Amino acid sequence: MTLNSIFVLVGFIQIALVTFMQWQTYISSVIKTFSIGSYVLAAFLLAAGYVGHEPYLIALGGLTAVIRAWFIPSFLSRMLRRDRWRAREIKPVLGIASTIILSLLFAVFGYVIYAWTMYDYVHSALGAIPVALFLQGAFLIISRRTPTTQLIGYLVMENALYLFGFLFPELPFVVEAGVVLDVIGTIMISGVIVRLKEEPAQNADVDDSTPREDFTELRG
Amino acid sequence: MLLALSLLQLLYVLLLAPLAAGILVKIEEVLESKKGPSVFQPYYDLAKLFRKESLVPTVASPFFMVAPYLTFAFYLLLTLVLPIITAFPLTFGPVVDFIGGGLVFGAAATVKKLAAIDSRNNYSHLGTSRAASVGALSEPIMLLIFIMLGVISQTNNPYVINNVLQTSGAWYGSLVHWFVTIAFFMVLIVETGKLPIESHTMGELGMIDQSMEMEYSGRELALYKWGGYMKHFLLMNVFMNVLAVPFLVPMTPSTTALLVYPVINFIKILALLIVFALLNESVSKYRLFRIFDYVSVTFVFAFLAALVFFTTRTGGGFR
Amino acid sequence: MIWIYYLPVVLSGIGGLLCLVPRTRFEEDVSIIASFAALASSILIAFLPNATSFGLYVDGFSKLMQIMISAVYVLTVIFSIHYLEHIENKLFQANLYFLLLNLFVVSMFFTVMVDNVGLLWVGVEATTVTSALLIATDNNELAVEATWRYIIIVSTGLTISLLATIFIYGGFHTLSLDALLRAPQATKIVSVGALLGIIGYGTKGGIFPMHTWLPDAHGRAPAPISAMFSAILLPVALYTIVRFVQIVPMQSVRNFAVVLGSLSVIVASLMTFSQRQYKRMFAYSSIENMGVALIGIALGGNAFIGSVIIILTHAFAKSAAFFLTGNILAAYRTNTIKDVKAVSRTMPLTGYSLFFAGLAVTGAPPFGTFFGEILIMTRMLQVYGVWFTLVIASFLVVAFVGLNYRVIRMVFSEPVEPSGKMDDNATVPIISLVIAFSMVFLTPVVYFFLKGVVVR
Repeated sequence: MTLNSIFVLVGFIQIALVTFMQWQTYISSVIKTFSIGSYVLAAFLLAAGYVGHEPYLIALGGLTAVIRAWFIPSFLSRMLRRDRWRAREIKPVLGIASTIILSLLFAVFGYVIYAWTMYDYVHSALGAIPVALFLQGAFLIISRRTPTTQLIGYLVMENALYLFGFLFPELPFVVEAGVVLDVIGTIMISGVIVRLKEEPAQNADVDDSTPREDFTELRG
Repeated sequence: MLLALSLLQLLYVLLLAPLAAGILVKIEEVLESKKGPSVFQPYYDLAKLFRKESLVPTVASPFFMVAPYLTFAFYLLLTLVLPIITAFPLTFGPVVDFIGGGLVFGAAATVKKLAAIDSRNNYSHLGTSRAASVGALSEPIMLLIFIMLGVISQTNNPYVINNVLQTSGAWYGSLVHWFVTIAFFMVLIVETGKLPIESHTMGELGMIDQSMEMEYSGRELALYKWGGYMKHFLLMNVFMNVLAVPFLVPMTPSTTALLVYPVINFIKILALLIVFALLNESVSKYRLFRIFDYVSVTFVFAFLAALVFFTTRTGGGFR
Repeated sequence: MIWIYYLPVVLSGIGGLLCLVPRTRFEEDVSIIASFAALASSILIAFLPNATSFGLYVDGFSKLMQIMISAVYVLTVIFSIHYLEHIENKLFQANLYFLLLNLFVVSMFFTVMVDNVGLLWVGVEATTVTSALLIATDNNELAVEATWRYIIIVSTGLTISLLATIFIYGGFHTLSLDALLRAPQATKIVSVGALLGIIGYGTKGGIFPMHTWLPDAHGRAPAPISAMFSAILLPVALYTIVRFVQIVPMQSVRNFAVVLGSLSVIVASLMTFSQRQYKRMFAYSSIENMGVALIGIALGGNAFIGSVIIILTHAFAKSAAFFLTGNILAAYRTNTIKDVKAVSRTMPLTGYSLFFAGLAVTGAPPFGTFFGEILIMTRMLQVYGVWFTLVIASFLVVAFVGLNYRVIRMVFSEPVEPSGKMDDNATVPIISLVIAFSMVFLTPVVYFFLKGVVVR
């Protein structure tokens, strides 16, 4: 089993997991699925670092396991309201079945644009997997209204970039560290906003003339 | 020789299919800490039904009476052309390939649906429409699966697919094969009416396949039931023998292998039955409209197999 | 001497941290001092030679950006002190507001001086982290929703630019701007990176396909924050695009940027007409200005100088405009254009300033935006011919009419009684407007600074 085929395996596990996330309406199971995906990614990085004797990859794998697989999911699930097992997507933008199929189409689309535009320059068919995953993550953001799920979509895109970066020479560690810091910062800030969004009754101005749930102003 | 083997295969399926159904029920009951019926209960049921009188709705056309025999014949034909106890084609092997087999399955299902409509029973109509709408989605997926199997083996012949997967470790271990296998397993659950899709309680609201035979009685019902057992047995065999565990199926006519393999085959089926039983005991039924979500996930897996094939085909340098 | 270049970041950073000291009104004094110190150090840096060592890349363009950032920083801090009193249901205390404000500026200073494309990304993403909560300062459901859209759309867009960074690194095996700009020949993989970079950073800069967060955020953020977003955050995003175009000066990349810029202009000028809220209207005007600036950046040569003039003039004029909308919102207690009437009578200073700010941001002749647009149009005429230029110019006219018509309706009309506290304090916006106006005369200075930078 070469590193190449493990890469394919890990990449498609991620794609299958995103499909699973599209299927799930319960937010806690989406978070758990993301956590599993990140663990797989971390294990892959650790294994690749161990086999190739690259301490850099081992460090990156450890960082992934701690930040992406453990900290962020637990932070996000703590951000859910009290009965977190009940939190779910109430009004999906589209039907679940159609979003699953569309997510697949996005993956195919990612493959196609990769093959058309980037393959000639990257010279590795494997790059199509992260690109597909990237678009699926973006679609997860578009297709859901729940802020937590949208954040997970963003994190899936980040994971896709991790996979993509693996095909290239590693970025300097200072950049990686900065990226991780920024992701943590984004998640923390989003946590505050998610809280505010989920508990409108407590902080909304009573005299606010705008009716609740009416975001017509933000359209157009 | 081949003809004899064909007859052996026919008998094997005809006789053991009800047993598989009985074992499944038994395992489920044991898992629920109950004693459960005898594993031979399906045989008793069939024997009883064959002795009973047949009643036909006055509004039904003659087709109503023909349908059970027709479907049973279709399943008999399928038994002769699929790799069950051998991995080399028997006498009737060249008659149809996988696509053809799928068409015969489809024909049997269509005949059953038409007869159900003919019976003018409301619940039969309900079941027919449900089965048709699920089938309309799951059967193209089946086709996609066969196409992906064709990619693996360059053919649609189930025997060749078995041989390729049996001999080539690269294909067996490939992600293409495993995504197809997952997709087929999910379709198998739909086609055999296992739990996330269909529960075997007698509540009409959740029924799909069972409600179609509501107006039948006596010998016709027995044939339907027996045909159903055979259908499930055949599909499980396709899954185990061709896709999931294609090993040990004799590829050349050798007496010992041919004598031993039916036993091994039944052990494979038993393993699958245990999986089904665990599934039936651990998951709850989807609401009807959520079945389509499930089916679309199945489609995704079948399609991902194609995507894997295209990404890995050209290889490409790593680093 | 190299430490001087770090001064803007360090000073505003210290100012930010000192805001945590729990003393009444201490954060205001600290922020004012920090902002003036940052402005002074930015001006000082302008007289120093370019720096390309110790992780720095400070050239003429960076210097101009630094001065612009610090000047708007000073104005915003001063205006904020006054304006915060108008916000009733604050999300957090004033010292947290100023802390975030200062850190926001730190991240922008960091972005325009760092010598690493990867850290450039880190800086831009840091602006998202630091500025997001500021939008929700006025704590209501719509502001929170706008903040959420800002976070999720911009973060998503920025992942694309991270992808671009990976591509750049894959092509050149270095991320140092200095080395990249001296790198011999752009390979094709890098051009893909540059395209993705333009899309990604264009999200932050309000460029067409992913500009949708911008009106929401500008419409709901408190006035000083809207001003800061429009005046300096969007140009910082364009700064990164300038670097990408410099690294990969290929025709395909430039054409792509021109297409996106033109689409931004077209969409924004059409959307200006359908706006019912003045802050959103000014937000679309920002999109339009950034679109024009992007076209200029892509065209290079004199058009690039034109873009920088537009960016500088727009920064001050638009911050003035948003400050003034803050005054109007405080007095009239409404966001909608049709409810605001006769500002020139109720608040003369605010009213007349808003009128001139509206002219300035839409490129009326005495202002720098006009000359910037002329420079860009001239170049566009040479490169893309008369028809394309006419189309873009006509959309600019559309935006001009659309915005100024509404501003005039707000400023000069039959009076109604404002419901809130009238507060015609327009000192800061007027200073801002004066700077915007004097930008015309500073054109030679801009030219001098950009001599070594101009995208060919």
